[in-house]
Amino acid sequence: MALPLPLGLVPSEAAFLCEMELVTVVPRQRLESIELLSGSTPKLRPPHRADLPLWLAILLKKQRRANIVPPAWLHPESLREIVTYETAIDVKDWAPPPPPPVRADSRGNSRRLNSADADIILSPPFLPSCTTAAPAGALPYHWFEFAEMLLAHASDDVPSASEVRSLLRDLQEARSAKMRSKITQPESHGEGVTSLRGVGAMELAESRGFVASVAEGVRKIGASAETMRREEEEEHGQDMDDDSDDDMGL
Amino acid sequence: MSYYDVDAILTDGEKIPCRFELDVPYLGHLDNSNGLKPGTRLNLPLWLAEMFALASAGEDSKPPLTLTLPPCLSEQVLAALKADPRAVPLRDQSAYFYGVAVRMLDLFDERELSAILRTTFVVRAADVGLHARKAEESGLGGQGEEFLRGLDEWERRLFRRGHEGVKGAKEWTDNVKRS
Repeated sequence: MALPLPLGLVPSEAAFLCEMELVTVVPRQRLESIELLSGSTPKLRPPHRADLPLWLAILLKKQRRANIVPPAWLHPESLREIVTYETAIDVKDWAPPPPPPVRADSRGNSRRLNSADADIILSPPFLPSCTTAAPAGALPYHWFEFAEMLLAHASDDVPSASEVRSLLRDLQEARSAKMRSKITQPESHGEGVTSLRGVGAMELAESRGFVASVAEGVRKIGASAETMRREEEEEHGQDMDDDSDDDMGL
Repeated sequence: MSYYDVDAILTDGEKIPCRFELDVPYLGHLDNSNGLKPGTRLNLPLWLAEMFALASAGEDSKPPLTLTLPPCLSEQVLAALKADPRAVPLRDQSAYFYGVAVRMLDLFDERELSAILRTTFVVRAADVGLHARKAEESGLGGQGEEFLRGLDEWERRLFRRGHEGVKGAKEWTDNVKRS
């Protein structure tokens, strides 16, 4: 028998992966570079900002050796914008994920950092989605876990933390209601495809069991009708073939 | 469906109304008589009824009995489901409502039944999901409790799985705040 583990990542695993996200810190003490499996961290020199993995940043924060600079999307203004988008502008789909990073050249154009001439094409866990370079107004993949961890361990670094907390609750509720309504629309199961663009890791881990069970139930109820339809289609297809053969004969 | 799936085994035990077409002398103990006459109506468990209904001895012989839809899929129930799926306590009809219904769909060619069941399941799933999310906040009581008591086994499993995910996320969030 297979391991009785649920399919996919459970919430605590999603949160563990989130600790790999880079965050911007303002160090208070000098710290030499540390060799990690994922590469070496930058040297910390007090007034200069540096990007560190979240787990290391939280460790340094707890030891009062650094302050964390929250990303732009965690600002109350940005969160309010997203709440408006979720509740008023698009009530069916989720707010879109952050756009891929672009860099302006000196002639007033902007180009994608990941364009074809780059040697390495980066994908989300290696893209800076929680540093100060991240754009405002869009939630990255690990938004929920990241915000929770930052609010739990470095709430004094987050501007107007209590407001951010309540906005995050609003977002969570609005988005989980969307997940429920999306998966439980009778007409949506006919097409069989549901877009989950912009859904975060924690939200996926949270609703995976439910969504999979609903889809499974609908499939089981429709299974006999489906086989019947297939058989009919096959017969029909054969009839059509016969017709075309007749036409060819004439 | 696994061989050891208890729900599948119990679904097999649900009673289905049947009508015997043949004279069966040695099955009298099923209705406490000396032998089953043609036309006898009897409730048989699904596994037995299905085997009889699909069995036929010779070339053009009839199967020993004919099946009818069980009372949990009667006209009244389906009409009520069509009107408002949420208002019907499915568990009062049968604890394995969907399980039996799916087996019946395999045996009968019932397009409309299939469509009604699908709408019912999906519409009720939305409420089940909401209750799974709010189970801890609202506590148990009031209208929610009544609805949850009316869930059949499929929906109970749906509730459990939905609640597990929400609980996992909540546990993690509480842990982060504490540490």
